[in-house]
Amino acid sequence: MTRILSRRAFLLTGAAVGGTALVAGIGGVGYLATVDVDGLNGGAVDGDTAELNAFVVVHADGTVTISVPRTEMGQGIHTGLAMVVAEEMDLPFDERIRVVFPTAAHAAYSSWFNVLQVRPEEASGPVVWLARRVLGEIGFIATGASASTMSLWHPMRVAGAAARGMLVAAAAARLDVPESELRTEAAAVHHDATRRSLSYAELAQEAATLPPPDDPVLKPREDWRIVGRAQPRVDIPAKVRGAPVFGMDVVLPRMLHASIRHAPVFGAGLAIIHNERELRAMPGVRDVTVINGLHVAIVAESWWQAEEAAWRLDAEWTTTEADNESSATLSLRMKAALESESPYENIDEGDVDAALAAPDGRFVEAEYDVPHVTHACMETMNATAILREDGSAELWAPSQNRSTMSAGLHRGMDWAGVSPEEVTLNVTMNGGAFGRRSDADVIAEAAFLAARYPGRPVKVMWSREEDIGRGLYRSQAAGRIRAALGPDGLPLAYDARVATQSILNSVAGRNFPFNPGPDGDALSVEGLDKPYYAIPNRRMHSQNVPSHIPIHFWRSNGYSFNTFFAESFIDECATEAGIDPLAYRRSLLRDSPRHLAVLDRVAEMAGWSTALPPGRGRGIAIDECYRSVVAQVAEVTVSDDGEIQVDRVFCALDAGLIINPDTVIAQVEGGIIYGVTTALMSRLTIEDGAVVESNFHDFPVQRLANAPAIEVSLMDSNEGPCGVGEPGVVPVAAAVANAIHAATGRRLRSLPLAITEMIGERRTRSVLQQGDA
Amino acid sequence: MVAFTLNGRPADVTADPAKPLLWVLREDLDTLGPKYGCGVAQCGACRVLINGVSTPSCIVPLQSIEGADVVTVEGLEDEDGTLSIVQQAWIAEQVPQCGFCQPGFLIAATELLARNPDPTDAEIDDAISNICRCGTYPRIRRAIHRAAEMARA
Repeated sequence: MTRILSRRAFLLTGAAVGGTALVAGIGGVGYLATVDVDGLNGGAVDGDTAELNAFVVVHADGTVTISVPRTEMGQGIHTGLAMVVAEEMDLPFDERIRVVFPTAAHAAYSSWFNVLQVRPEEASGPVVWLARRVLGEIGFIATGASASTMSLWHPMRVAGAAARGMLVAAAAARLDVPESELRTEAAAVHHDATRRSLSYAELAQEAATLPPPDDPVLKPREDWRIVGRAQPRVDIPAKVRGAPVFGMDVVLPRMLHASIRHAPVFGAGLAIIHNERELRAMPGVRDVTVINGLHVAIVAESWWQAEEAAWRLDAEWTTTEADNESSATLSLRMKAALESESPYENIDEGDVDAALAAPDGRFVEAEYDVPHVTHACMETMNATAILREDGSAELWAPSQNRSTMSAGLHRGMDWAGVSPEEVTLNVTMNGGAFGRRSDADVIAEAAFLAARYPGRPVKVMWSREEDIGRGLYRSQAAGRIRAALGPDGLPLAYDARVATQSILNSVAGRNFPFNPGPDGDALSVEGLDKPYYAIPNRRMHSQNVPSHIPIHFWRSNGYSFNTFFAESFIDECATEAGIDPLAYRRSLLRDSPRHLAVLDRVAEMAGWSTALPPGRGRGIAIDECYRSVVAQVAEVTVSDDGEIQVDRVFCALDAGLIINPDTVIAQVEGGIIYGVTTALMSRLTIEDGAVVESNFHDFPVQRLANAPAIEVSLMDSNEGPCGVGEPGVVPVAAAVANAIHAATGRRLRSLPLAITEMIGERRTRSVLQQGDA
Repeated sequence: MVAFTLNGRPADVTADPAKPLLWVLREDLDTLGPKYGCGVAQCGACRVLINGVSTPSCIVPLQSIEGADVVTVEGLEDEDGTLSIVQQAWIAEQVPQCGFCQPGFLIAATELLARNPDPTDAEIDDAISNICRCGTYPRIRRAIHRAAEMARA
């Protein structure tokens, strides 16, 4: 939320501030004009606030509210995009800047980049124009795919420059001088010849009534003072005071609380509750109800009371065809799918079959697999909704996607037979997200319950056990890769296949009335194709393996397993060829200078050529993802009894133009730790159709004591900004597996690489799985 | 009724004596800094100081804190709003990402530095067992060392 409002003030006024500050209608519709396409135009004055455009509001007290329509979930986006506006407006980047997630769904906020994959600064043509209009009109506002900076940095530059232009025009009129004699600095317009200055606060009301410049002048890069230099995050002062309002912290008058018990087997529903009377008699319990015929909700005056009752729930659930599914049966289906006669053909370049059939060839073949894992955001799933007596509805949720918020709200109320007249959506701070919060499951539950208690807000919060055991998952996956090596030891042919449950099919099946994905969806194969390696014959196949388990976006999606498969395999090829893994990759990158530079940088950081003592090893891996190039070296120590510690991870990242370097480094650090946890420790077990694990004692994660030391280097780059939220995760599993091979000679092809046990209450020990020699 | 001190002020609560302190703070005392993360003393997001000891408040029943001195993240700053050295170090190292778990880390680090003004890395490893899924651990380690340095200056 805002930096200045206290929690209490937010609760009373937050929605009103967000709502009135940004009441602009859609602006002009100038054909193909960048500014007008997304409806950026349209100043407005409201009390002591002057709205210069959809992103910038200047207040009479000199503060500036910058709207950042992307969810702050830890990645620092509210700071980075505000920096871009401040740069163009010549605003000092200090406490006078407030950042809000706007409640209005202005067309200019749309995440059309995520769909079109065309950078706004490069967008042109009628097709893009039309798609932008449509996605803007429907309010598609999403935070994900490491795309927020790419999607908004240019539009917000233009917004900042347009606001500055309006302020300069207002000053020119007031001072009766030509605009060319004016300059801006430190939130004021200056006329040096007459030594007169007018602050933005003084000018804003007039500026808001002026038309924006037709073609806002962007500040040349050499004049940048904020962008590219580490700025303190706008959200951190509140975060060290415990003051931000996460979804869990939304408190409204007369609010009811609910805890949910979902059927253990995905797809099952409630059959019978044996002890409903007992539960209803418990202190504070107001209701025991069934959501959409499936899940049990305990509604109480306090969440603790609701959860106490939920623990005591004695229920039976309907039987399903999946009641006998287990990790073993699902793994067999994955392995069988690798043998599919008719997989989806993603790539077929050159003549792979001929190379693989060469009579005197050297061949490498390996199979890999990963288990189901979950996100385990520190803030469990929650949402708060109210249906007011006038038929309007309002929702507060830690969500990555405004569109799914809206859909979830309507879906849940529809279950209760209610169709809200008017809907207000409030995106709160997110306590972690990692893709999880782009679904509307908990939102629909809150909406359903709110519809049952008109006039009373209802907050639904899942326990950690529901979050881990009854949630949404990254699919298990199996991969098989074959290569034919040429005389120089490098692959002549690369033939990769992945079997996994399609992410897009599963997401669409839960959320859309249609299913857009082909059998091989792009997210499920990403990371497997290695197009930047000089390999003349390449083929990639994929096979969707549906199951009853709901699969969802998970930080880096397909890369989280395919890069493990592919970069482990390239190491195996190097071993077969008897070539150092770094030298091997360098040869493969002979036509990819951007990648080679990143690889060389990380090798240098890690001191690749220096020897390590016995029991220690280094592994390297690289990938291109979210338009970034990322390479990592992991250093591990393996004790005689197989206990593994990841000591250090070095990372070089070419993420194009960097807005806030320190935040980028923090994202990479976090991505590495998320990835090391998953590579070493994370596995969900399916038994009798249900997830066995339930909390951090049996779904252990890295803690401070075993987190690696991390060193990150950002490349100078000519690219535009690229994604940084996910790349840190991508190569680390392969880098660690390759390091284990270097340390022990053992090639581990399954994640997690280790079996992790609790030692004491909150410590863990990870011992390597048995692998192949 | 149970009476105790919360962030320097008297607090009287009438609630189920078995109600965990975390939920008393959040639901009865409008003190939302301590977070629910696991409910089983695994993650530390709910940590508060009870008589100076960093304690997961999700497993402490209300009835056990009669007369105790309880400090939450909200109580780390001075009356005039001056941040504690630990909080200042957290800002200097730009520790938080999503920030949800940080109240518990701040409490754990505050206790550690109170009993050990210059902890080694190994002592930090021993003392700090909280969970952060954003992966702020390297910065937490640096911030604790920085706070120790700031306190000496």
